[in-house]
Amino acid sequence: MFDPVKIRSEFPIFSHHPELIYLDNAATTQKPEAVIRATSDFYQKENANIHRGIYELAANASQKYEQVRRTVASFIGAERPESIVYTSGTTEGINLVAQSFLAGRLQPGDEVVISAMEHHANLIPWQQVCKMQGAKLRVIPVSEAGEIDLAVFKKMLSERTKMVALVHVSNTLGTINPVEEMIEMAHSRDIPVLLDGAQSVAHYPLDVQALDVDFFVFSGHKIFGPTGTGILYGKPEHLENMEPVTFGGDMINSVSFETTTFAAVPQRFEAGTTNIAGVIGLGAAIDFLMKFDKNDILAHLKNLTETATDALRQIDGLKIIGTAQNKSAIVSFTLGNVHPHDVATFLGSENIAVRAGNHCTQPLMDFYGLPGTTRASFSIYNTAEEALRLAEALKDIQRFFA
Amino acid sequence: MNEQLKALYKTVILEHNARPFHFEKKEDAGHVLEAYNPLCGDRFQVFLEVKNGVVTEACFHGYGCAISKASTSVLVKNLENQPVEKAQELCRSFLKMTNPDSQEPVEMAEEFMAFSATRDFPGRLKCATLSWEEMTLFLEKQTVENEN
Repeated sequence: MFDPVKIRSEFPIFSHHPELIYLDNAATTQKPEAVIRATSDFYQKENANIHRGIYELAANASQKYEQVRRTVASFIGAERPESIVYTSGTTEGINLVAQSFLAGRLQPGDEVVISAMEHHANLIPWQQVCKMQGAKLRVIPVSEAGEIDLAVFKKMLSERTKMVALVHVSNTLGTINPVEEMIEMAHSRDIPVLLDGAQSVAHYPLDVQALDVDFFVFSGHKIFGPTGTGILYGKPEHLENMEPVTFGGDMINSVSFETTTFAAVPQRFEAGTTNIAGVIGLGAAIDFLMKFDKNDILAHLKNLTETATDALRQIDGLKIIGTAQNKSAIVSFTLGNVHPHDVATFLGSENIAVRAGNHCTQPLMDFYGLPGTTRASFSIYNTAEEALRLAEALKDIQRFFA
Repeated sequence: MNEQLKALYKTVILEHNARPFHFEKKEDAGHVLEAYNPLCGDRFQVFLEVKNGVVTEACFHGYGCAISKASTSVLVKNLENQPVEKAQELCRSFLKMTNPDSQEPVEMAEEFMAFSATRDFPGRLKCATLSWEEMTLFLEKQTVENEN
């Protein structure tokens, strides 16, 4: 039985802040005891650097670190653990693909296709690579509701398109993009696709092989894991042909002053000492998440989204931004002329944590002609009562500013 | 709702937010300052005329939260007809009053003091000081240019 109140009790932050209504899960999720303990246990009892350590502690640390790679692979349906590259987060994963996979393939006049609802992290890396190579960044428009028109997308693809980079779930609008169809359309023209799964991987059943996606990236901290951890999945044939872009220890085969040969995939992309304790924590986060049936999670979040949306719609002057048919548990809105930061400050004083601003999607805000929105984003430990409390607090704020 | 927060907004901020002082564009002004906070997107332009070391006209335009809009409004209102040195003094006092690290007590008129409450809301401090900091930089340049 899926019980958000019981789940909430597994998150120590809520014992320290019993009044906290945490609706900022799209920014980062809270951490369950199991994740905090795994990280802290590692430092207290198991800490050593990984790879080539001969003594027992180091061997065990390496083994645990590599075990998480297998956990991640099975979590997203990757063909083998070697397809899983540890990164510091979604941002690093995308930059690595842009620099290492794409830059060398781009000729002047080539095109990269992204959508208008990309997070800056899935926009700027491509924009800069295009600029460097004299290629063009093309942007799939979104409708007023925040949806992509597949026919328009299809028309944008041509023999000049060298990459499609897409957000799975929009962090600002909550739109769930029809990525299955979009990947198929791109592949029919042999165009590789990167999927930004930062907002989707915690809640949606995901199978990178079934999706046949070329690259899949996400962050650990948005799925109950530690900050500074992330995953890049790449199809083996892509990763094998990619050169590293960060050089140093731990990523080499042999080194002389004249030349270096690099380690095999994925080590060649993991230079220096990585966030070992973080990776162990990420493993614990995935173990925690895998205890639940994702269909239960989805049903719960759908219920919360509907409760919140219905309650918010009753408020005069409140406008929901992003009304896609297929939507995740992210509700962005404007409240009359009250600035989002004023809304968030007043909500904060009522212990309701939300985010306000452009949500790292400035071009999308420009499209809607908005300086920003207030955004409530829900997770497994939120309740319908919290969604209703949000609506009540918003009514007070509206009265105050009227 | 939080009483302290209500008090912060009630005094001056709601009034200036609803009815800002000289809220208009003047593209051909002698000086145009831009106060922009990339972290939140607040962006105001302040239009100034300075003649013989005196601010003769001031107005502003742009978009931001209630606190940043009101604080810019109060700034613009109190600049007009002030010699640059006086304006600098005003900016210094305001920034000292809103600085949580400053121990020195600052007495200013109620209109300014309202913003001292942002010291209790660290996330909103920049909203109060954004335009004032930009103005301080501009006024410094003015005095340097005058001296040269």
